[in-house]
Amino acid sequence: MLFSFLFRMQESAESLSAQAMDAAAAAGSSPIFWVIVIGYFALVLGFGSYFARFNKSTSDFFFGGRRFSWWLITMSIVATGVGSHSFLKYSAKAWEHGVSGTMAYMNDWFFMPLFMFGWLPIIYFMKVRSIPEYFERRFNPLVRRLATIALLVYMLGYIGIGFATMAKTLLPIMEPHLGWDLMTITWVVAIVAGVYITFGGQTAVIFTDLLQGFILLLAGMILFVLGLNYLGGFDAFWNALPADFKLPLANYNDDPGFNFVGIFWQDAVAGSVGFLFMNQGLIMRFMACRSVNDGRKAAAFNVLFALPLSAVAVTCAGLIGRAIATTRPDILDPETVKSDEVFVRVTAILSTKAGFGFFVAAVTAALMSTVDTLINAVAAVGINDVYRPYREAKGKETDDRHYLRAAMWISAGATVAGVGSAWAFNQFDSLYEAHGWFHSTLTPPLVAAIFLGIFWPRFTAKGAVATFVLGSVFIVFGRFFPGLLIAPFDHGIPMDEEAPYKYIGALYNLVACFGIGIVVSLLTRREVKDIRGLTIWTGEDARHFFKGSAPDDRPGLKLHLRWQVNPALAEGTVQVDAEALEGLAGSEGAMVYLCDRRKWLGGLRSTHAVLQGVHAHGEVVHLSPDVADAGHFLVGQEIVVEKEF
Amino acid sequence: MELPFDRVWLPYIYLYGVGGLIFFGGLFIVLKSTSFQASRPEDRRWIRILLFGFFWYASLHGIGILAAIA
Repeated sequence: MLFSFLFRMQESAESLSAQAMDAAAAAGSSPIFWVIVIGYFALVLGFGSYFARFNKSTSDFFFGGRRFSWWLITMSIVATGVGSHSFLKYSAKAWEHGVSGTMAYMNDWFFMPLFMFGWLPIIYFMKVRSIPEYFERRFNPLVRRLATIALLVYMLGYIGIGFATMAKTLLPIMEPHLGWDLMTITWVVAIVAGVYITFGGQTAVIFTDLLQGFILLLAGMILFVLGLNYLGGFDAFWNALPADFKLPLANYNDDPGFNFVGIFWQDAVAGSVGFLFMNQGLIMRFMACRSVNDGRKAAAFNVLFALPLSAVAVTCAGLIGRAIATTRPDILDPETVKSDEVFVRVTAILSTKAGFGFFVAAVTAALMSTVDTLINAVAAVGINDVYRPYREAKGKETDDRHYLRAAMWISAGATVAGVGSAWAFNQFDSLYEAHGWFHSTLTPPLVAAIFLGIFWPRFTAKGAVATFVLGSVFIVFGRFFPGLLIAPFDHGIPMDEEAPYKYIGALYNLVACFGIGIVVSLLTRREVKDIRGLTIWTGEDARHFFKGSAPDDRPGLKLHLRWQVNPALAEGTVQVDAEALEGLAGSEGAMVYLCDRRKWLGGLRSTHAVLQGVHAHGEVVHLSPDVADAGHFLVGQEIVVEKEF
Repeated sequence: MELPFDRVWLPYIYLYGVGGLIFFGGLFIVLKSTSFQASRPEDRRWIRILLFGFFWYASLHGIGILAAIA
């Protein structure tokens, strides 16, 4: 009953085609549509205000107190990875090229060994709070400043693009019924997103993303099932696709606008490294994991299972649309349908006005979950790489609560700046292009510098600066002289005069940046600098740094214990009896993780502490007051205690 | 319509040829680094998962191609 209420059964072709044309505008006339959309916004705001209580420090605000389970982080990464434009962009790609439109979601495994055993342990164990901070610790303050400027401009612009995309998507619905223009819609979306991020921080982002990731995956899957049902089953759908459209990989090098080899270098190589190693929001998400092992689980589950599901979710409207256009061109005319309209048109054909509200909520969820991560990341870079160094340089002593308040102000400021850049992008197309140009010019040098920094100890600070500066210059030269500089890397792809080497240019950019970094490093003297723990070759030093003493990897048991506060204990410590200490395989100074026994909370009520001595009071764990406070444990609930190392 | 070999299999060969070089090159670096400790069961398990992931995707793409040309 509910299904038929939300999602359309078979109707006449004439009726469907007409409804598809103005579905977005018509959706706003349904009260159910507004209940779904307003209910969704209210739920998101509620999340923000509830999770605000879990923010007691900047560590909570930026990294969620490093307490969350892998499955929460996985869902959060899914929501972050599927952006506001994903449904529209990848549906368009699938409409134009078929199943190969999923390529961008299906080629991220190649760099996993280097991420899981290289970058992830380094940022987690060395407590790297931001990418620019890594650059200073690995190289020098100049490299940090260059990275800070590049990241802030990129992220603030990207927030604006997110808001602008969302406003354009909602405009046909909001304008006829509420009279809202682009900027009004942008402000409404920004206020909702800004409120829950400003007060809720990383914890609100993670739990909101859990909801939003679920909504957008569910929406994609429902759309796919509805499409199959509409077409008469999977066989009918599959047989309706042209033969070339069924292949999961694009043509090798024929089409300059969409070719496999270019997409491989731009997406599977440059894009994967950029996403895994250089995405400040993603780094903060992994830092919110309760352990490196949970971070690895989140990354593995995301790439192995969640990304293929996301690929189906974001491309299925295009594939279903192509099958409908093949079998019923009277409903969806392949000659007149524009690629970027396909998602809305197919959704309108398959759903009722009320059901359309659910899909609007899904696209909104995709926007919110990408923008919230960016705003939180801007606040982290703003505090860690601009404000804190500034105050320390001035010799001003400041407690953590001051920085927590400042982080909230910067979050609000980043939201307003995002609205400002959305306005600018709407006014001047050239600004939108300039941001894309800036991004594609500065990303390869950052990627090369991080990569060489992690995996090549001989890489020098001068090499890093040269990678940034000369790398950017060579990339700009490549734009002006593609026939001379990029052509040697083109793999036989024809050069399109209007947009030369759209994808394969990434290979030239990477070769230029890596080449400059390597040559300059070999020609310059190696700095005398302690970089232990900051490269993959000193991984054990990173674990030593994290614990403050030699790691203890003896396997221990997970113990379920009652808890009570002992004000006599030193800050950050806990105490168990001798029997429990033996069960944990622990010793004085060992790091332990304490967690509410209800696994479905995902670590919301948990914290880390250090073992200090033993007591003689049986099966109870004594907590120092600050540990009990940080863990948010409920009185009367047993907690699980386990040794970390 | 019969699709030519180049259109069907060349991207796959390139993806898992060049991608395989990146993946196994990375794995080699990891095994040589101090981040990986063979004495830790956890680390050995992750190496097995990494290998599984590579062949999982190679299978997914391979099955996808076979389904397309069937």
